[in-house]
Amino acid sequence: MSSWLPTNPSSRRWLGLAPTYLVIGIFMLIPMIIMGTYSFMEANPYGGVKPVFSTAAYLQLAWEYDLDGTLVFNPGYLKIIWRSIGLSTMATVICLIFGFPVAYYITLQPENRRNFYIYLITIPFWTNLLIRTFAWIIILGRNGVIELPLLSLGIIDKSLRMMYSDGAIAIGLTYSYLPLMVLPIYASLEKLDFRLLEAASDLYSSRLEIMTKIVIPLSKPGIIAGCILVFIPCLGAFIAPNLLGGGKKLMLGSLVQFQFASARNWPFGSALSMLMLAVVVMALIFYARGAKKRAAGAES
Amino acid sequence: MATAAINIHGVSKVYNPGSPQAVQALDTVSLTIHDNEFFTLLGPSGCGKTTLLRLIAGFEQVTGGEILLFEEGIENLEPSQRPVNTVFQHYALFPHMTVAQNVAYGLERLKKPKDEIRLTVDRVLSLVKLTELANRRPSQMSGGQQQRVALARALAPSPKVLLLDEPLSALDLKLRQAMREELKQLQKETGITFVFVTHDQEEALAMSDRIAVMSNGEVQQIGSPTEIYEHPVNRFVADFIGDTNFIDGEIISVKDDLVSCRISANTVFEAEDSGNHKPGDQVTLFLRPEKITLTSDAQIVNGESHAGKVTNIIYLGNQALLSVDLGNDIELTAQTRPREDGNLPFAVGDSLLVEFSKRALRVLAK
Repeated sequence: MSSWLPTNPSSRRWLGLAPTYLVIGIFMLIPMIIMGTYSFMEANPYGGVKPVFSTAAYLQLAWEYDLDGTLVFNPGYLKIIWRSIGLSTMATVICLIFGFPVAYYITLQPENRRNFYIYLITIPFWTNLLIRTFAWIIILGRNGVIELPLLSLGIIDKSLRMMYSDGAIAIGLTYSYLPLMVLPIYASLEKLDFRLLEAASDLYSSRLEIMTKIVIPLSKPGIIAGCILVFIPCLGAFIAPNLLGGGKKLMLGSLVQFQFASARNWPFGSALSMLMLAVVVMALIFYARGAKKRAAGAES
Repeated sequence: MATAAINIHGVSKVYNPGSPQAVQALDTVSLTIHDNEFFTLLGPSGCGKTTLLRLIAGFEQVTGGEILLFEEGIENLEPSQRPVNTVFQHYALFPHMTVAQNVAYGLERLKKPKDEIRLTVDRVLSLVKLTELANRRPSQMSGGQQQRVALARALAPSPKVLLLDEPLSALDLKLRQAMREELKQLQKETGITFVFVTHDQEEALAMSDRIAVMSNGEVQQIGSPTEIYEHPVNRFVADFIGDTNFIDGEIISVKDDLVSCRISANTVFEAEDSGNHKPGDQVTLFLRPEKITLTSDAQIVNGESHAGKVTNIIYLGNQALLSVDLGNDIELTAQTRPREDGNLPFAVGDSLLVEFSKRALRVLAK
């Protein structure tokens, strides 16, 4: 009845996978190629790019032309990148510290209640991230929800200056991406065979040892997935750094956003994005190598 | 016999007490398990045998009564503080560790010196014949091999008591039979008290020094395999262990330990009774199929023979179970063996003679 379908099995397989390739091609491959191409072009001062080959955007990452036309090293942007990695790592670690116990707690609940808790975790996603981040300004700001009571009770006598700091950015990032840590960890903890915990306790393990020797090693795939899911959007985040860092504390994401929106330097924005991509891919390769080595070590 | 390894005094266990879903899993169970004994808790699923094992291991808390381990109360001890180890029904091997790491796990938690751990792991692995597979992961092994790893892991810390929760139930028949012998052998070699939970009566009879038959959260009978099989105290035990014929009747006379029992208007059987019944008591007699002798000779030889007709045959290879109608609504299941040429001596519809000794027919307390 389906005579128009190819009969040869390998063509049929291709046909079945076609939607996947189409989606990956349109939404990932082509945009990345465009971005890569733009990064090797010249900036058009009115936005967009001039179709002329140039490596200026990549040079700009670490060097600038002095007044006399010589190239000098300028670590300004590298510092921002380094800071971004640092802040993202911090946010990821805090997410892990708070997210793991939450995921574990949900796993221990009766089955019908678990889905309800997962639903609760996802509720913040229903409100715009921008609005939720603004809320943090009210909480952390001068005479805000935290400061005002402390000031009026005389516990502190001047502002804590919590806003516009690295700390504020880290709090904002942690808040934004915590659910992305909880969900994958929950997914892997849910598959955990709790009889293993009984076996461990039967074999003289303390509660702490059950955690460190059994639960955490077995939920490692979820922990790693959660860390990747939090770290990568943190690196590219610009709402939290712009609002809570006050624009003075730039992160990679806000820098990229700035190049496209205000500075009208699309090639440099693209080059920064390519660099970010390289950082992430390198981190993933590093992890994959480590995982392979660990697996090989356990076999031998 | 030797000292008591485990004393269970009037132990009760109720799950979800006070709620509508409350379940009485154990009802004032008392029993004593001797040191160096292979003790089996036998019963159908839901009889409370696994609950009892979990109470000893410490995974559940008793609702009433107490459990003594070598004369000491263990109520306040966490599972990790009790000198007992468990072989779990589904093995519960740590999937992220090799066989050797699994076996070493308990010893490491006990902070044994590294050299000692290595020696013990080697010794235990050779005991269960797994030395070559020490570096495999559980997922790379067959069910039987995983079973041995579970056994080795539980034996490695030299527990005072080893608890085994239906460890053979997931294995196929051949392997199960081989493991029975190995387990029995292992128990003798190590001298560790084994508490073995199973619903398989054959397994229990083959391995145990003593068996406790349980049903509905209560212990029905405790005894050696022979006692349990030959002298069951009630219908449940007789029915649960092996195939049995039950015959209802009324005692009409008693002479020492023999009674005459009216089965129907014109049938009277003589039977052994150890229960001090009186004439007029309604009782149940039981008779094992293998104690019935069948002959095709149509002549009644003595008073203990009864004429009957084969109504059904279940062929089992090395034996066959025959349903024999004796008339008067009495039907017995009898066992027979195939002849040397492989054919059965009887066919459905054949007339035959049924004989059994009055010592083989026993009165159960009703």
